[in-house]
Order: sequence, then C-alpha cells, then structure tokens
Amino acid sequence: MTRRQRVAVVLVFVTCAAAAVAGLSALGSASAGPLSAALGWVGAMTGSIEHRVRERVEGPGRRARLEWVAPYRDDAARLRKPEVVLLGAYDGDIPRTLDGVVALEQRIDAPLPIIQAYAAWGDRTDQQFPLQLLTAINGLGSIPLLTWEPWLIDFESGRHPHLPLRDARDQHGLAAVSRGAYDFYIDAWAAAAARFGKPMLIRFGHEMNDAYRYPWGPQNNTKEEYISAWRHIVTRFRQAGARNVLWVWSPHVAYEYWDLYYPGDAFVDWVATGVLNFGPIAQWSKWWTVAEIFGTKYERLASFGKPVMIAEFGSLAVGGDRAAWYRDALATLPERYPAVRALVFFQARDDQTVTYQKVDWSFAGDSLVSAAVRESLGWAPR
Amino acid sequence: MLYVVLSLAFWYAVSRIVLGWVNYAAVARPPVRPVPNGVEVAIFTTSARGEPRAMFERTLAACGRVRYRHTTYLLDDTRDPRFRELAERHGVVWLELLDVPGAKAGKINRALALTDEPFILVLDPDHIPFPEFFDHVLGHFEDERVGFVQVSQAYYNQRRSFTAAGAAEQTYAFYGPGQMGLYGHGACVAIGANCTFRRSALASIGGHGIGLAEDLVTAIRLHAEGWRSVYVPTIVSRGLVPEDLGSFYRQQLKWARGVYEVAFTELARLTRRLTWRQRLSYLTIGTYYLFGVTTPFFLAIPYLFLWTGVQPATMSFAEFLAVAAPVAVVGASIYLVMQRWLCDPRGERGLHWRGMMLKIACWPVFLVGTVLAVFHAEIPYIPTAKEAVRGRFLRLAWPQLVLIGLYLVTITRVFVMRTRGTSEASLELSAEAVWGMIAFATLPVIAAFGALYAAWQARRLPATAPWDDIDVDAIGGDA
Repeated sequence: MTRRQRVAVVLVFVTCAAAAVAGLSALGSASAGPLSAALGWVGAMTGSIEHRVRERVEGPGRRARLEWVAPYRDDAARLRKPEVVLLGAYDGDIPRTLDGVVALEQRIDAPLPIIQAYAAWGDRTDQQFPLQLLTAINGLGSIPLLTWEPWLIDFESGRHPHLPLRDARDQHGLAAVSRGAYDFYIDAWAAAAARFGKPMLIRFGHEMNDAYRYPWGPQNNTKEEYISAWRHIVTRFRQAGARNVLWVWSPHVAYEYWDLYYPGDAFVDWVATGVLNFGPIAQWSKWWTVAEIFGTKYERLASFGKPVMIAEFGSLAVGGDRAAWYRDALATLPERYPAVRALVFFQARDDQTVTYQKVDWSFAGDSLVSAAVRESLGWAPR
Repeated sequence: MLYVVLSLAFWYAVSRIVLGWVNYAAVARPPVRPVPNGVEVAIFTTSARGEPRAMFERTLAACGRVRYRHTTYLLDDTRDPRFRELAERHGVVWLELLDVPGAKAGKINRALALTDEPFILVLDPDHIPFPEFFDHVLGHFEDERVGFVQVSQAYYNQRRSFTAAGAAEQTYAFYGPGQMGLYGHGACVAIGANCTFRRSALASIGGHGIGLAEDLVTAIRLHAEGWRSVYVPTIVSRGLVPEDLGSFYRQQLKWARGVYEVAFTELARLTRRLTWRQRLSYLTIGTYYLFGVTTPFFLAIPYLFLWTGVQPATMSFAEFLAVAAPVAVVGASIYLVMQRWLCDPRGERGLHWRGMMLKIACWPVFLVGTVLAVFHAEIPYIPTAKEAVRGRFLRLAWPQLVLIGLYLVTITRVFVMRTRGTSEASLELSAEAVWGMIAFATLPVIAAFGALYAAWQARRLPATAPWDDIDVDAIGGDA
C-alpha cells in the first residue's frame, strides 16, 4: 500500500471506531454495586486522612473554630434537644464542594453548623449513600442534614424485576415501601449510615402533603400510607443499628391538614418546614413575610414538642425589599419563635423545582442583603 | 473528544484480552509423529560481518551433533577466511554468498538455488540445536500439505540481565499457548529461528520472504497458498535474547515496524485467500503494537487532570475501578490459567513482572514503529545483536527520566496546592479524584524504574560472553 492509502485506512478506521463509541455511550447507564461502595469508603477515608495531615501542617481549620458545635456533632442525644439555634445552609455547589457554605459564613459573619444536601432514591451512583460528602461535612466541623427524596421511578425495571413498571410505580408507591419492596435500597442506606456512625439528620419525603409537586404526595398516596412508609424506614434503620440518624419530618404548611401526616412521637426527632418567599413571580404567590408564611403555623409546629427547623429559608429578589425581609425575619427570631432550633439558608442558584424558569435564591451577589443578614444575626451562637 | 479517545484506548485493551482468549480457546498440541527414514534435510545458518566466531564454534558443533542425518550449510558473507576454516573444521558446507540483497533472507534464497534437500531448517546462528531436534519435526512432513514446522524458541542467557529476563518473559506466553492457539486456528507462524520449511512450499511463493518481518511474510504467504503449518511446543534448541536495553529496543522497533508491514501489505493483499480464523489470528498479531499508541493516552490522563482539571469522563475514580476491576480480574486469570501450556512451566511460570515493566517502558518504541509504518518510512535491517552492546545511560533512559521527573514535579505541586491552595471546604470532596489519579500515575512510574535499572545495567558490559558457559556435549534432552 502506498502512504496515501495507509493514511486513508487509518483515518477510516479511527472514524468508524469513534462513531461506535459515541453510539454505544448514548445507550449505557451507570450503576453501583458493593465494590464501588467499598471503594467509596476508601475514597472517603483518603480525604479524611489528608484533611488531618493538612491540619498538622497548616494548623487547625474550621472544625477547631466550631468547637462549641462538638456536643451536637458527636452526640445524637444532644442533637435531639439542642439548647441553641443551629444555623445552616444548602449551597448549589454541593456535593462538588462546600466552599459556598464557608463563603456565606464569612459574608454573614456567623457560623453555619448544619450543612444540607439533597439525595434522590435510585440506582445511579450519585443516589447511593453519600459517605464522602457526609465525612467531608463532619471533617469540616458541621452536622449533615440530608433531604432524602423517594423518586421510585429512578430504579430500573431491568435490575429490579419485582418492582412494578415505572409508569405504575408511583401509584401507592409508599405502600410498596411499607411492604418492603424497596428494602434492598433502604437497608443498604441503613447499614451505610450505621457505619458512618456520626449524628446525621435525614429529612425523608418532605412536603408529602403537597399534591402538585413530588410523586410521594397525596395525589398518589394516602396519609396512612405515608405514615406507615415513614415508620417502616425508621424501623429498618434502627434494626440496622443506625441510632445516629435523627428523623426530620417536614410538611408543607401552606396546605391544610398537614399535621395529619405526622408519623408519631416515637418516629420523629425534629419537626421542620420550608419558609420560601417566591414573591409575585407566579400566579399563586405574592410577597409574603415570614410571619405570614410561618408565624401562623408556628404554634401547631411547636406543639409536637420537638425542636423546630426551618429547613429551607430564603426569599427571591423580585417584588419587595429582600434586605428588609431578612432583617424582619431574623432580628427577633429567637424571641418570637423560641421552639425554632435550626434555620437553614436555601442558597440554590438555579432552582427549577416549582417554577418553569430557573430562580436564584442565593444572596451572595447582593451586599445589601448580606449586610442585613449579618446585622440581624447578632444572637447567633459562635 | 478526550472521552472518545480514551474509550478507544480502553476498547483496545479489552479487545486484546478477548482476542487473546479467542486464541487460547484453540490451543492444540500436534500429535507425536514417528520420524521417517532417509529424508534429506539441510540446516541453513548465516554469518555476517562482526558476528563472534566463538558463538559459531558452539552452534556448528551442536549442528554436527544433531542425530538425524543432515547437511549443514554456513551462508557466509564475512569475507573472513577464518569462517571458512571454522566451517570446514566442523564438517559444515561453506557457501560464500557475497553482495546478495535482502540480508539474511536473500542469502537463504540464493542458497536454495545451490542446494537440493527437500527440507531446510533455517537456524539463527545464536541458536544451539539439541541432538533430538529433527526427531520432533520431520514426522510432520509426512502430511504432504504441511509447508513448515516451527518449534518453540527458548534461551540460555535470560538470567544474565534484567533486560534479558524481561525480554524472555515477554516471549514465554507467545511460544507456549500463543503459538499453540495460532496452530489450533491453522495459523501458527514462522519465526526467524528454528523453522523447518518444505522446499516446494517455499518455491510456491517464490522463495523466502524478504524484509523486516521476513518470517511473518513467509508464513502468511504460505498460508495464503494453502499450506498447513505445525507448531511443536517443545524446546529443542536454545538461543539468545537481547541482554542490553538498547538491543532490546532495536529488536522491538524492528518487530513493530515489520509486523505492521505484514498487516498493511501482505494481510491486505492476501486476506481473501485466508480462512477467517487465519485472518483473525493475523489481525491479533498485527494489532499487538498498537499498545504504543494507546499507552501515551493512559499516561497522560492523570497529568492532564492534575494540571488542568480536565477529566475524560464524569466518573469518580472509585466507579472507574469498580468497572475496570472485573476486566482486570478476567485478564489476569486468563493469563494465569494459560500458563499451564508454557513450554517449560518450571522455568517460565510466574508473574512476568520484568516483562510487563519493559513492555510499558517500550511504548515510545512501539509508537515510532506505528508511525513509521503508517507513513511508509523505512528503517534499515538490523540483525538482533548477539552480544550485549554498551549503551549510554542517558540515551536509553531519558524517556523514563522525563516521566519520573514529571511525576515528582506533579506530586510536589499537588502537595503544595493541597496544603496551601485548595480550600479546606473542597479538600475532602476532591481527595478521591486527586489521589486516585496519583495512584494511576504511579503504576507506570514503577515500571519506569525497571527500565531505568535495565539502562543502568547496560552501561557496563558483562565480563563474559553468554556462550562461554555452554557445553555443547551436555546440551539437549529438555523435552
């Protein structure tokens, strides 16, 4: 063959092979097994060790500054009855990095001992127990709060032939959870949580009384089904020895009868709700104050006798004075709502769960709001 | 883009395992055939200027002791009267073949015209045949369709240096289950040494092939012509394997270039006349040196990530290991299982880690061979060196030194970055990716130290020649 022919043959071969790779990779999907769980553990330990080495070299880090959090971070019993208000945040860069939380902390000049992350049920690797993230949060001195969303359709039918087909899965899906159809997944999490060992908060199936948002809502399930699924999950975790997990029950208090979804004192450690002011961006919303969203329901929330958490706290910018909204809400919060023991800033930058357009909940770029929050948090423990 | 390139590299690695498996699936051992009486057979061995006479002393003496009646010819172009004297002293027919184009193969073709034995053993002069050599070979020619019989190749100098040990280890699998599998597929190939041809078979393809891979060219032409080949996995001779790194690199470059040459010219031309199993077998052989093309990509991945943050796939390191582990386990178990077919299991079993180190270090050589082949560039015919050649350390070791240097600089940078630069809040969440990549970068560095040691050894010549200790009277009987 001449040189030209040879080069042509090689080029044709490379092109065909590249096309084949592109085609096949469109078909495949990732999944996780016991080996990746073991390797994930190695990864988490590597990070933990490296963090400790760095503290040796560079001196103590954030964990040392959060020494006062240690009783709650290390003792689940104390975390059930905190004597102070624990601030926290969810940041849009989680789980890639926790930088956003630390940056927010500096901007508002108040420590954020709780760091929230969201995890969906399913087969994908990012839907398995996030050991590395939790280890990193703990290593940084904070307490992890995990919002755990039962997206039943994210389990592949091929891998779980005992499950109904995806189209039929959400209908009374929580009843299937109670029957044990998802125990393969729940038990894996329970065992991993027990191995993790440090106190952690799990907010399972939040806003379960909102029929317009998540598949675990009342459009698919009855109250009784929700409660029984909750109790089933908590029981599986307890049987696996995961006593370090605290359960955060979090209804949407704008809808009526939300308190009927309460799973019972023996199964709940914290009572939570979201306080998000969407402003006038949608037909169903207007500029609401915290007193309007939360104040009217506070007494009922506190009546369960559990510490109360505002698990998603924030306001959009359009339609009012955002700085005033935060100042108004925060400055006198401990006196007005003494049962509130945790407040978690919601700092998603491109939230699309409720609205058709992406909305930005963060106030990182707004120095007026940052200043208002900073000035209103004089009472924050540190 | 990066993802596609990397996928191709992985697919290549996986397809090598699959092709190896397909090959091993056909492993077969020919039946023992009694030796016929009165067959006329010749041994051709060649001498070229600069080759040591002491080596020929032993080879020619051993030829004389091969039991089956035969004639040995020395195909000589040294213009050195002492070679003639040497040949005559051992009762070897001296043929002076001057100015024949085509190096060794050219001389063989010229000698074919001067002789008339129906069977010819082409013996490399470093190979010392055992007395029982022909007893294992000639019986197979009773089948009129058999064009050549190849026997195993083994060495007597593999303990003399790291390079020799590694180079020998690289061949164990090929001369055991590798060739036995090729034989099972009807495609066992001729290798430069120890191949016995039927004269009429060579005549049917116009004589022995010429070029860098003259042996492989001859084999594929004979197969295309319909001749059968037999592989006898028995050690009935021992020869030399390169002892110094420079010679090893030269040998590998020659083989890489030659193998591609066969794939591009002969395989392309003759493929319609081969069986599909032969095609697959030659494809397996022809793509071996693509290792030199894929390895640099694997090497580059961790550095690309550690310096620029670019990743070919959004996959965590743990996920990657979880996916790759079954492939690695399958590959390793195939390798271990097929060791039962090694020609000399007691001497050859093992992890062959020196061979692996040398192979990983050899990728630039393979790559050069590939590029030369694609652009149809020639390299001169280089006979594989018989004696160790003294090599300058830096000249042989610089690719490894560059890699190790890059590795150390990278590690230092990572350490500084991760104690001072990286924010504390990102540290633990990025640890798996960073340290996983460093682990990935460490494996070839370990291999580089093997090659570095080999280059260090090549600075000094051994005090003795490898054949000094060979006692021709005592050799043989391995089988």
